[in-house]
Amino acid sequence: MFATLFEKELKAILLSPKFVATFGVCSLLILLSVFIGVQEYKAGVDQYDTAMQLAEQEVREATSWWGVNNRAYRQPNPMQIFASGVNNDIGRLSNISTWTEVKLQQSAYLDNSLFAVFRFIDFTFIVQVVLSLFAILFTYNAINGERESGTLKLTFSNAVPRGQYMLAKFLGAWVGLVVPLLIPITLALLIVVVLQVPMTGVEWSKLLTLIGVSILYFTFFIMLGLLVSALTKRSTVSFLVLLVVWVLFVLILPRAATMAAGQIIEVPSVAEVESQKDRYRTDRWTAYGEERSAKWRERMEPAEGMNEEERTQFLEERRPQWMQEDDDDRQVMQEEIAEFERKVNEDLRNRKAEQERLAFVLSRFSPSSSYQLATMNLAGTNTTLKTRYEESMKAYRTAFAQFVEAKRIEERKKLMEQQRGQRRVMIFGGGEEALDVSELPRYEAPSHTFPEAFGPSVIDVGLLALFSVICFGGAFVSFLRYDVR
Amino acid sequence: METPRPMLEADGLTKRYEDGNLALDHVSFDVYPGQVYAMLGGNGAGKTTAINLFLNFIEPTDGEARVDGIATHKEPLKAKEKLAYVSENVMLYPNFTALQNLDFFARLGGNTKYSKDDYRQVLLRVGLEEEAHNRRLKGYSKGMRQKCGIAISILKNAPAILLDEPTSGLDPKAAVEFIRLLESLREEGKAILMSTHDIFRAKEVADVVGIMNEGNLVMQRSREELVGEDLEKLYVEYMTGYMDEVA
Repeated sequence: MFATLFEKELKAILLSPKFVATFGVCSLLILLSVFIGVQEYKAGVDQYDTAMQLAEQEVREATSWWGVNNRAYRQPNPMQIFASGVNNDIGRLSNISTWTEVKLQQSAYLDNSLFAVFRFIDFTFIVQVVLSLFAILFTYNAINGERESGTLKLTFSNAVPRGQYMLAKFLGAWVGLVVPLLIPITLALLIVVVLQVPMTGVEWSKLLTLIGVSILYFTFFIMLGLLVSALTKRSTVSFLVLLVVWVLFVLILPRAATMAAGQIIEVPSVAEVESQKDRYRTDRWTAYGEERSAKWRERMEPAEGMNEEERTQFLEERRPQWMQEDDDDRQVMQEEIAEFERKVNEDLRNRKAEQERLAFVLSRFSPSSSYQLATMNLAGTNTTLKTRYEESMKAYRTAFAQFVEAKRIEERKKLMEQQRGQRRVMIFGGGEEALDVSELPRYEAPSHTFPEAFGPSVIDVGLLALFSVICFGGAFVSFLRYDVR
Repeated sequence: METPRPMLEADGLTKRYEDGNLALDHVSFDVYPGQVYAMLGGNGAGKTTAINLFLNFIEPTDGEARVDGIATHKEPLKAKEKLAYVSENVMLYPNFTALQNLDFFARLGGNTKYSKDDYRQVLLRVGLEEEAHNRRLKGYSKGMRQKCGIAISILKNAPAILLDEPTSGLDPKAAVEFIRLLESLREEGKAILMSTHDIFRAKEVADVVGIMNEGNLVMQRSREELVGEDLEKLYVEYMTGYMDEVA
């Protein structure tokens, strides 16, 4: 009995003109999206390699450690082909120097704002928007449509258990829609292999999980379609209800949640934070400058009344110590500035994180948001991408600054020794020779393991499964009491 | 000689809907194997309600509908195994061909051993031309769909057949062919309950005629009792008489 019902469902879907249209549109969109995604990824990799070489060359060509700055680049991620997330919105590089903070800049969309207007349609977007809509199109009249056409009555004039019928409806629709969709997905994976996108084992695992989550999301909409179809008598009503629910889930709830979180937890703007930091920095440097002037006047007081030669000797004897003292004070001040900035940044980050958490909690009432969050987490293109890179760049900056600072002290000592006895000395500057940068720390992109990717997705995957089960349970119970006439 | 057991039994069958409408009021009748029972009556008389109760599409408020002794609301699946049904307006899957529709419904009816030839034979028997067998049903007329519905009920090979206005949509020639078909099914021993407006066809084929009005069985006569009677006149008399009584 079940096999007969299942086979009929499958056949009905495969023979319907809707299926041909859905299959064609989805195949075209998925293949095109992956192909364009691969091309963009490859262009990103080329840009990344060139930029890395240029940055390295600049460092190699420097002749003084005082002029050595570096840049750290965000490595293109093959998973961005399938779930671009915030990948194109956040900066691709940060200047690494002892003087400036780590800050990702030059996002892809900033460079080419046209693409920001018509954003990249990735695989997850196709599933989230297009496939969910198609799932509704296929199931909105699954039950009530058969009642309207009279086939439900004829079917149930036979000894057909309602539970089996419902299960066959679901499985038939599921297999009839999911399996044919696996064809373009498999072809898309082939594109990835043929175009030699360097995917690691971890990335393949993430990708397969992402496809699994996409199927789960799609399953939810099939079950939702069945539920509404089993709750209503007319297919026009169920279509309207489903359309409203779809708009609510896909378009309204995620945005409304973000807006609500923004109203509930206020986060200072970047300009406010920068101005706060800038004010503190300026105040400290002004105070430091004034302190140094007073200190030097005080230091030179004993030299009052000395002749030129005695003054020079007095200065020569004490200068290294005084400079060391100045340097130490400068370092203390800079550390205090850095500490202040760190606190301001941390406060900003905490507030942002709090706002983000609230927005995510609220948005998870929509399975569409759960799906988006899960796929971005899996792909590593979620909102933590920026933090992950900035944290690793900060760690790199510390190692870089320590190394360069040591080299600068070394260079200055060498320079002062060379200039001993000269009247005017240079405290910065180097020779003509290029620096030996072989030991300079190199930046390495942060790793993103499978557990790190899947861990944060568990709650969203669980929610999707829960939503699906609730819908199917609801559809099942409704259908047990459904008037088939 | 042992009295045969009725295949279809309406025993004090009553249905009151949630809105208070009494669709069927303690109606009792029996249909025996090899018998055609024609239920006559106007719209809203309760004919379709009675059929729906036999199919367990609705539950009785009181009384029982039984198929081969099985109460349909107690053991609906068991009862439905013994029932075939043709609705007033047969609707099948429009994207399937006649053969595919027959195959699906035959298998739902528990018959998995039919071949395509069997399906063709039945379709020819109900008068559907061969060239239509492999066509999708979306191009079929109402009469052609009706023939397919009858073919499905034949294929189920159930001992009881419920027909809800089966001749509706059939042209006169097809209606005559349908009557011949009913006679042959009767000869096979099927118990047939048919609701109809068509007094002429009812008189031609029915072994028992019941007239229903406003949920009541107001008259029931066998073929023998109807010999020499004008059924049309009786129908009008019972309907108006009943109406007068109600008034």
